[in-house]
Amino acid sequence: MTITRPTDGDRAEPASKGRGRSGTPVAGSIGLRHLSFHYEGGGEGPAALEDVSLDIAAGESIALLGPSGCGKTTLLRTIAGLERPDTGVVAIDDEIVTGPGSWVPPERRRVGMVFQDWALFPHLTVARNVAYGLGKRRRDAVADSLRLVGLVGTGDRMPSTLSGGQQQRVALARALAPQPRVLLLDEPFSNLDTNLRNELRSEVHRLLLDLGITSVFVTHDQEEAFVVGDRVAVMNAGRVVQVDTPAGLYARPTDPWVATFVGDATLVRCRADGATAGSSFGVIPLESEHRGDVDVLLRPEQLRLVEGDRATVELIEFYGHDVMVFLAIDGQTLRVRTGPDVRVRRGDRVGVVFDGPAAHAFTAI
Amino acid sequence: MTDSFPTAPPAPEVAVDGDGPADRPGVVRRPRPPGLLRVGGLVLAAIFAFPGLYLVWRNLTEDADPLGLVFSPRVMEPMGRTLRLAVSVSISACLLGTALAWFSTRTDLPLARLWRVVLPLPLVFPTFIGAAALIRSFNPGGLANDVLATVGVDRTPELQGFFGAWFVLTLFTFPYVYLPVAAGFRQLPGSLEESARLLGDSPFAAFRRVCLPQVATAIGAGTLLVFLYTISDFGAVQLLRYDTLTRAIATNQLANPPVALALSLILLVVAGAVVMVERLFSRRRSDIGRIHDNKPVIYRLGRWRWPAFFGMAVAAALSIGGPMLALVDWSADGLRRSLRGGRPLTIDAEEVIDATGNTVLVGVLAAVLAVAAVLPIAYLVGRYRSRAGTVAYAVVISTFALPGLLIALSIRFWTLRSGLVFDLVGNTLALLIFAYIVRFGSLAMGVSLVAVQSVPTRLHDAAATLGAGSLKRLLTVDLPIMAPGLLAGVGLVLLSVMKELPISLLVSPLGFSTLTTRIFSSFEDAFVAEAGLMAVILIGLSFVLSWFLVIRRAEHL
Repeated sequence: MTITRPTDGDRAEPASKGRGRSGTPVAGSIGLRHLSFHYEGGGEGPAALEDVSLDIAAGESIALLGPSGCGKTTLLRTIAGLERPDTGVVAIDDEIVTGPGSWVPPERRRVGMVFQDWALFPHLTVARNVAYGLGKRRRDAVADSLRLVGLVGTGDRMPSTLSGGQQQRVALARALAPQPRVLLLDEPFSNLDTNLRNELRSEVHRLLLDLGITSVFVTHDQEEAFVVGDRVAVMNAGRVVQVDTPAGLYARPTDPWVATFVGDATLVRCRADGATAGSSFGVIPLESEHRGDVDVLLRPEQLRLVEGDRATVELIEFYGHDVMVFLAIDGQTLRVRTGPDVRVRRGDRVGVVFDGPAAHAFTAI
Repeated sequence: MTDSFPTAPPAPEVAVDGDGPADRPGVVRRPRPPGLLRVGGLVLAAIFAFPGLYLVWRNLTEDADPLGLVFSPRVMEPMGRTLRLAVSVSISACLLGTALAWFSTRTDLPLARLWRVVLPLPLVFPTFIGAAALIRSFNPGGLANDVLATVGVDRTPELQGFFGAWFVLTLFTFPYVYLPVAAGFRQLPGSLEESARLLGDSPFAAFRRVCLPQVATAIGAGTLLVFLYTISDFGAVQLLRYDTLTRAIATNQLANPPVALALSLILLVVAGAVVMVERLFSRRRSDIGRIHDNKPVIYRLGRWRWPAFFGMAVAAALSIGGPMLALVDWSADGLRRSLRGGRPLTIDAEEVIDATGNTVLVGVLAAVLAVAAVLPIAYLVGRYRSRAGTVAYAVVISTFALPGLLIALSIRFWTLRSGLVFDLVGNTLALLIFAYIVRFGSLAMGVSLVAVQSVPTRLHDAAATLGAGSLKRLLTVDLPIMAPGLLAGVGLVLLSVMKELPISLLVSPLGFSTLTTRIFSSFEDAFVAEAGLMAVILIGLSFVLSWFLVIRRAEHL
């Protein structure tokens, strides 16, 4: 499938039916202030939010990353107007849509959403699904949207006759057709198998960049968040714990929990002495000055195998482009990423050295 | 209660992989059935088809020319009344059932769970008992009349004729719509409505454009059940003196057989035509998606919360509470009266126990045999690839449209005509049970098929690789897994047999009475205390059985 970007002449007029406002398709900014949400009763409701604030610039793609039950879907639904928080403000394009005394119902927010189960209307054809949010002049807009996602010619089919990947694209086309200010995606790829997921992820990524639309998507997959998100907001227990670019998040996690949640990491207890820390396998340069006990964040690619006998090879996992070697050293397991031509075997005695730029460290608690 | 009208033979078992295009599904090829099973299925189908075909055949061959009577006023007038009643009841039951289903499943109505359990209950009332209870309550001296009088209403509507029949039948048939529609509303993923909202629909528009189309099939199927029930109802229209086809058949079947035959042919055609129309208009719905943990949207009623609650309470009070109270009131009156040495009851305990025993006996026999009779066909359809199975299944399912009165009539005419048959089975319980099986086999069919299909093929394969032969597989894999489903089927048929009136009245051997026949004749003879007493027993029994066998199972659906 190829994504063809419509020229400006192709682009459909924005839908005006039932909308609070209409105009040229402009990516909207999102402002979230002090959102709190607590569900009534036990267990059944959506996860809670605790004082969440976040600013999303127009045209930006942001990933909400967190373990299940952390509130990321609740936050997404709050932006859509599908949940009403106890307190706090949601503004889209500086227009307050949720807040004390103001409430814009979801149908007038001009927010598109792709649901986890895609929520295609099973009784409508693909074309009618896509046309659902459009007023008059629907035919051109439907054709444009289907072309956008590479589904030309499927308009007359019923959703259930499409493959999972195609259904996902219909869901995307349907959400984009009315030209929303913001596109929300709730674990959009979790229902697909691995190969297709990676393929679609790249397509959607390119499409979002091409359209320049503001997008917020929920995922529990760190790789997905890193690949698609301009920035990633990591959530835990209803709070946003860190917002940063993927690179920043990976290099400078705000606390040990984030460090181990995003990417492979080992935290090693060391004694810091200013700009360095001493470990059982040598001196590690630190990014910032520390003194006393610290937990040094070691990514597998920052370590290198050398001749020696300090560590024992516990396990070798072959990934093709690289190999992960698990080492037992001083009662701890270290993970080392090496090239695919590594020549160690399980049980070998080896040495390990730190081989990277300065490491990130947390003061030990 | 899973009264549902199975609309089409089941789709073949389809294996769709993670991302296999669903239009090129990997259909698991099913084996051809053993010859004996095939023959058995066809024989069973012939037996199920017999009563209906016999009526048609008698119409065509009778010397007195029933076909010539078809367009006479004696036949057309009752037909007009039947249609008028059936259409009115269908519309009102459809609206009532759908509304109650929506409120009890999709809103924050107080005590929503309670209503979901209570609202199906009117189905345990045989309509004639419900009719009897409501007639007496609204008559002077009746319970409802007294209540209304205390609030200053001294002219209560007299329940009779068209209005009475419409009112009573609506109250006791709306659960046929309520049950499937409520299930549909509960299964509808909330993301569909939320999508519609985000695409610009108001809540009402989302309901109309997305929810309603999803449950349209359920509404159609439920309304069809109401329609079929209404045209085949005999007890309620008899007590309410509204001359429909069934009542005319019952009055003519002894005095004027050709007229009865012509009337029954018309009834058969109406029932068949309606089923065909429903089949034509109900499109097969595609499945809703792969994730079903998506909870339905619950709407906040706000200030309409308590008015809606009140509406629920009125519906429940009229269809369950009121009739139940009336029955208890009569029986208590009767018992008090006879204990104080007033006019004694016309029945003694022995007769009541006898009738109760008979009810349970024929009910259990008919229910077990009905499930056993349709099980081979369920196997043919669910497990094998067989045209014989498809035909047999279609035959059994189509008997659903055959009113009980017609089965009773057919069997009566048959035994009277054929000396051999009369000598062999005339006046025996076997004939009665046969009639019940034909009447309710279609109910058992759907449930049995689900049970057969609930046994995964791979369990069979696993058992086979572990060395189990076909008999051992049947005993150790199939039956244990199917048992709950089959039991639910037995329960469903049992409940229906206990409520059945026309077959019980016309086909029972001389001197054999069940609770329904005794209640009906007691009420016709104006012995209300006796009728009330036995009705309380019957309904109590139905209630306990439906709780254990059907409702408890349906609740987790």
